[in-house]
Amino acid sequence: MTKKESALAVVAKVSGKDPEELTPDAELVANLGMDSAKALELLVELEDQLEIEFSDEDAAKLNTVGDILAFVERLES
Amino acid sequence: MTDILDTYPTTIPAALERAAIDFPHRGIGIFDGRGRQVERRTYAQFWENAKEVGARIATLGIEPREPVIIALPTSWEWLLAWWGVLLAGGWPVAASGAGAIAAAEAQFDKVDAIMKTLRCRRIISSEGFRQQALDHGNQWANDRVLTVREILDLTPQPGFQPSMGHPEETAFLQLTSGSTGLPRAVMISHLGAMHNAVASSIVIGTPQGAPAHQWAQSMVSWLPLYHDMGLIGCLMLSIATGLDVWMLRPPTFLARPKLWLQQLGSRGKTFTPSPNFGYQLALERIRPGQLDGLDLSKWKAALTGAEMIRPETVKAFCEAFEPHGFDPRAFRPCYGLAEATLAVTCDTRGEGVRTLPKPEGADSGYGLAEIVSNGGPIDATEVVIRALNGRKLPENCVGEVCVKGPGVFNGYFLDETATAGALVDGWLQTGDLGFLADSELYLTGRTKDVLIVHGQNLMPDELEQLADGVTGGGGLMRSAAFSVAAGAQGESVVLVVETSQTDSPSLQGLEQEIRSQIGRQIGLPLADVVFVKRGRIPRTSSGKVQRSEIRQIYIDGAL
Repeated sequence: MTKKESALAVVAKVSGKDPEELTPDAELVANLGMDSAKALELLVELEDQLEIEFSDEDAAKLNTVGDILAFVERLES
Repeated sequence: MTDILDTYPTTIPAALERAAIDFPHRGIGIFDGRGRQVERRTYAQFWENAKEVGARIATLGIEPREPVIIALPTSWEWLLAWWGVLLAGGWPVAASGAGAIAAAEAQFDKVDAIMKTLRCRRIISSEGFRQQALDHGNQWANDRVLTVREILDLTPQPGFQPSMGHPEETAFLQLTSGSTGLPRAVMISHLGAMHNAVASSIVIGTPQGAPAHQWAQSMVSWLPLYHDMGLIGCLMLSIATGLDVWMLRPPTFLARPKLWLQQLGSRGKTFTPSPNFGYQLALERIRPGQLDGLDLSKWKAALTGAEMIRPETVKAFCEAFEPHGFDPRAFRPCYGLAEATLAVTCDTRGEGVRTLPKPEGADSGYGLAEIVSNGGPIDATEVVIRALNGRKLPENCVGEVCVKGPGVFNGYFLDETATAGALVDGWLQTGDLGFLADSELYLTGRTKDVLIVHGQNLMPDELEQLADGVTGGGGLMRSAAFSVAAGAQGESVVLVVETSQTDSPSLQGLEQEIRSQIGRQIGLPLADVVFVKRGRIPRTSSGKVQRSEIRQIYIDGAL
């Protein structure tokens, strides 16, 4: 599994949404219904599963599923 | 009236000075953002450091009673900044930090608004904050932001003497939501803070037969220090009574609730406050097996307040953690608000969470049938229930909760109208609704429209303005935001929006945009968005939206 696929799997698991709903422009709060606690749970799961770390600055810029995938992709390159 | 303070300091600086002398080896431990490292300083060290920072802040020419904003996460920087301003004679004002994810945009607009409302010249924050403010186009970013590091580089004022304060005088400002979305600044006195801290320790310890600080070693907290429960209930309480306190940052707790429980299992006899959602989060996120070896039997009091207390959460928490030694009788409901410094009532029976059925004919704002007892008033504090006309009501009648006592605030800074609306003849009109039974307070709802989500106040106006921005409403077309009870989650927010659109695709598009705006600006997921025809939302004769009316219609299923 690529890191991007793993990331999508984590978002699906934490948000409880079907993979079809995880389009790049799906917003974490508006579409996936995440509040601050859920959002942090997502960050922690991503960090643990993908063995990456988000800084506070990184985290503040993550609004959509696409933002997360782009971040993960940047790390792989 | 304040006999309990006979042997305690009556100002905040005096409390730390005394802790440095009488409890020099007790102190404050603060965890870093990842929750891995803790930096601990004794009260003796902290008092010296605070004076050093105060002496340097004094050279900046802070006027007496000048408000200075602190925008920092829970950290030693925060403590030194807040105390440095206090000891330099200014009024520290703690502002909340940016959201950990998304919702960062509204942060700087809020700080802008606070600076204007309070006529504030300075903010103590981080380099990162200053840079983000610059990027965001905030004019004050360069002139008014100061970091703690920069303060430490200043030369101390020669002959500096820390400002020790006077009991009745305002010590600091506590930000709380106002009716138009702009935070109000509650003026808290030294005596109010000290009395509340000591009185809280007394009621917390009542089931054990002695004030908490006489049998506990420590307190543990994840609460933000810009919130009254964190600032007074944890920090001031510990300093005033010489307890050790261990603090996690809120996002650290939200990310890894297990850290909080681990602390509660390893700091000796301890206690902690939290809003309901903290207990709910711990319950949901901690997996079986992750807690092997955890012993919670020394966790003697789990205070619950700051938002609606959900019996389902309490029950499930007890089931999950009793096997690890948690005593269900440790749950202690309490009630308070910033305008009363913090605590107003607290359960002292220590028999767990108790409920009574909602009184006949009472309209419970939250739609609840069973109402949780929030306990009886703390020392020297009176609670009465008043009807709309001000008449005092007997027990078992629902009305507005009114409070009198040493913790009642000195007023809202620079807002005499709001102050006159809340403080009448020394009585604080809280805007909360409830009834008394057997001298204990049972909260049923609010007259105030404020929404409380995860223990934090949110103004419906903000949500409505964002929604109106999307639909082009705000004139003849209005919207209304209100909260409804949502099981173990506490309150969840519903938005009803008037629109002339009727076709499904348009409405879906509007809903998406509304949710997106509110998600980005406020970080709140909406439980429901309901579109209705123009005029469906009841208004007063002056055109104000009647949120409680439309909420009742929604709860009744008539929308």
